[in-house]
Amino acid sequence: MAGTTTVLVTGASGLVGAEVTARLTAAGHTVLALLHSNGDLVRNNGRKLTPGPGALIRITGDISRPGLGLTPDDRHIVATADRIVHCAAVTDFGLPEERYENINVTGTRHVLDLALAGRTPLVHVSTAYVCGERDGTAREDELDVGQRPGNAYEKSKLTAETQVRKAAAEGLPVTVVRPSIITGASRTGRVRDFKTIYPVLKVLTRGLVRTVPGHYDAALDLVPVDRVADLVTEAATRREDAEGLTLHAVGHELTLRDFSDVLAEYPSFHVPRFVPPSAFSASALPDRERPYYGRIISLYDTYFRRRIHFDDTQTAAFSGSPAPAGGRPYLRRLLDHCLRTGYLGVASSHKPTTARPDGRTL
Amino acid sequence: MILTEDHLQSLLDKSLAELPGGTEWAVALEGSIAEGFGNSTSDIDFLLIDRSENDLPTMPSLLFVDGHRVEIRTRSMGQLADQFRMLEEGAKRPGRLSEDLLNRCQRLLHSHPLRGHALVDEAKAMLPLERFRRITVDWWAHRARQSLRHAMALLCLGETDESVDWSRAGLVQTVKSWAAELGETYLEPKWLPMQLDRAARPDVRDRYWELAAVAPAPGDVGAARDHLTACLAFAEDLGLTGVPWRTERLTVERAAGVTTWQTGERVHVIRGRREVFALGDRAGAVWRSLVLGRPLPQVLAASADTGVADPGPRLAAFLRYGLIRLAWKGGGTVIPSLPLAAPPGPVTPPPSTVQPLLSVHGAAVSGPDGIDLVPLPADRFAAATMALVWSNVVVENAVEDLTGALERGQWRVAELTARRALHAALRGLFSAHGVNPLPADFDLARRMDLLPPAARPIQARAEELLRRTVDSAESGDALLAELRACVALVRNTVGAGAFPSSFDSADTWRATLELGYDWLRIGAYLDAELPIEEARDLLASSGVQPHQAA
Repeated sequence: MAGTTTVLVTGASGLVGAEVTARLTAAGHTVLALLHSNGDLVRNNGRKLTPGPGALIRITGDISRPGLGLTPDDRHIVATADRIVHCAAVTDFGLPEERYENINVTGTRHVLDLALAGRTPLVHVSTAYVCGERDGTAREDELDVGQRPGNAYEKSKLTAETQVRKAAAEGLPVTVVRPSIITGASRTGRVRDFKTIYPVLKVLTRGLVRTVPGHYDAALDLVPVDRVADLVTEAATRREDAEGLTLHAVGHELTLRDFSDVLAEYPSFHVPRFVPPSAFSASALPDRERPYYGRIISLYDTYFRRRIHFDDTQTAAFSGSPAPAGGRPYLRRLLDHCLRTGYLGVASSHKPTTARPDGRTL
Repeated sequence: MILTEDHLQSLLDKSLAELPGGTEWAVALEGSIAEGFGNSTSDIDFLLIDRSENDLPTMPSLLFVDGHRVEIRTRSMGQLADQFRMLEEGAKRPGRLSEDLLNRCQRLLHSHPLRGHALVDEAKAMLPLERFRRITVDWWAHRARQSLRHAMALLCLGETDESVDWSRAGLVQTVKSWAAELGETYLEPKWLPMQLDRAARPDVRDRYWELAAVAPAPGDVGAARDHLTACLAFAEDLGLTGVPWRTERLTVERAAGVTTWQTGERVHVIRGRREVFALGDRAGAVWRSLVLGRPLPQVLAASADTGVADPGPRLAAFLRYGLIRLAWKGGGTVIPSLPLAAPPGPVTPPPSTVQPLLSVHGAAVSGPDGIDLVPLPADRFAAATMALVWSNVVVENAVEDLTGALERGQWRVAELTARRALHAALRGLFSAHGVNPLPADFDLARRMDLLPPAARPIQARAEELLRRTVDSAESGDALLAELRACVALVRNTVGAGAFPSSFDSADTWRATLELGYDWLRIGAYLDAELPIEEARDLLASSGVQPHQAA
């Protein structure tokens, strides 16, 4: 097919990787899907990916190993790639620091080695949260402005993107796509993996943690997975337009006030009380809440403090579509999907309380 | 017709004589008499048609002619064309099609011309009768579905008698839809017997009357179920689709603008950002068990799991008050309605009369099953409760200050802090009764006339204490003791729920702070006037108990 290319996609079984792979093969491109293990590629809608008309070639590898751990035969196949889309990363929070180092930093180093060897244009999937812990507007042309990363994940992605920039300075054609918090599909709210913000929503709406340190005007940016996949695919297929750009793949900016107000629309949900971080003490939490706070909520504390806005001027100009509006309706779609699947539901306890004498209960 | 042509022409002449002249009207008789129904008490309804495009008055004129009540409406051809156009546009969504519009069109299309026959015929030709029949069939069928689905839901919820009434409504609407297919489109249900007689289908007529005559005993679930089953079967036989007896197709959905806010253990539901419902413990537990989007039987089972006996009526009340919505899978929101009745929509119950109205935990309730409408607009409710929480804090704070001032012999400081404490207690007292915004501090004691008589004894005591001066340790200690007694009196009057002792321990202080945050959260949602700045100072204090003796 004229105009088609061969694209190596790392992390092709991941949420974004599978969607990018589906889009590329649907457009007639050949995808070399780098996979850490065997298994079906599953799309965000839960269905097995059916490639075509472009071909899908599975390649087993491990980005944390030099040469991506490829066999000599696979190395030859990978060398035919016209582009590399680097989606592979660990995005879970709370893992040992070396996991982020191995996959996100060293893994990116190895992908860069491959790209530099063949001067193969690279689309690197980073995160908008390389901006670190700060308030205000994060621009697409900024990277290291002395910010403090919010956690080990952000630190690793900042280091990885810095490596990518260095390679770009050495002449490698590079596009960086920085998604914010990737969540369900724009129209349906559907999501394959209940990761990132989802466990937080579960703990909070079930009332397992009722007091959270955060500012009501702190903002979380939730981007639909389809928007991210569209943008990454476009960056890979419109190489010349995309080269040198950093694109904020951002979506719906929702403040904690938005979360609070929308969660309140669901009778079974608990709405957390956000308290100023300076007034919060984990040790003052009730015994039943503290473990949930420690295991889940504390990993996301940093996002409840930032009053951050991601400028997406370059993205809007490149893709012709600015970040979507309608954050609250989108959040409802996400929550409704969670209810439909049973991921979210009733609070942890909804038995009527026994009568207590007024006033002395404080 | 029950009136002869001559009689009608005579009535028309006399009626037109009472109207300003100058217009060449075409005239048609419309309504029940034109339809072939009517009796000696029926109105005579004349429609006067003007060829112009002008807008003529909508309000009819009422005349009394020869012992008849004569109603005269005027419409231009332009208005009639608009009327038919709106009907066609609205026909796509029968649930939203106005009953009045449908009625107006029906009456014209079935009218009897008396003058200017050509113009009357021209007006009628704007909408083919067949098309109108179809619109009417769909309109009644839509209503029949809504009523029968609602009846199913109510039966599921244990509201047996109400279910029977909606089954009956669905029965009438089904038969009206069926009759419309045969050309019997007159809307008013009271002429249904004559329509059925004219339809010349005695089998249908007899079965209808048989079902209409069924009167299940109040609370007889079995009989109500049998009645609904028979109505559904009859409806199906008459060609009504979309009403299989499948309650799992009924789902409980979010009602727009309804939010839930819990403070302490009290569940508040705010409707349309305006009205606050305070739920008693059992009603609150049922509410909290609601998972939106789930089938009604599943929702009912989940609410039964809360341990609340017979949760159905509570769910039915939520539905009645518009706090939740019921939908039929593939059929949208279930909105039952009766023709010629109040428009469908949420019911608003009378406001709660429980006193005092508020505590720091929220609104008072009438009992564990209460779904009580707070007699305050939502923003005032939030503002008053926040003021109440805040006044608690200030009382405690000021009493601590007073103690410190007395220890150091600062008599004038002691006087001022005593007044501050007293004013704060009075602010709490007013807030607990829902007064908001509050009178100025110096006016609080005088404005006790706003409060119920039970609060009056506080007035004299407060006025006396506010005048009190301190010039010695003895008079200071006496003031402190009496101030504490007065605060205790306020607490006794409004209940400890309004005035807990926030500073008794670290735990009670932390709980007070959490209540403060809870109220801030609601206040933010409502954009209410709250003592935010002061409260933020408090809330940002890391939960440290202020003014605690070292």
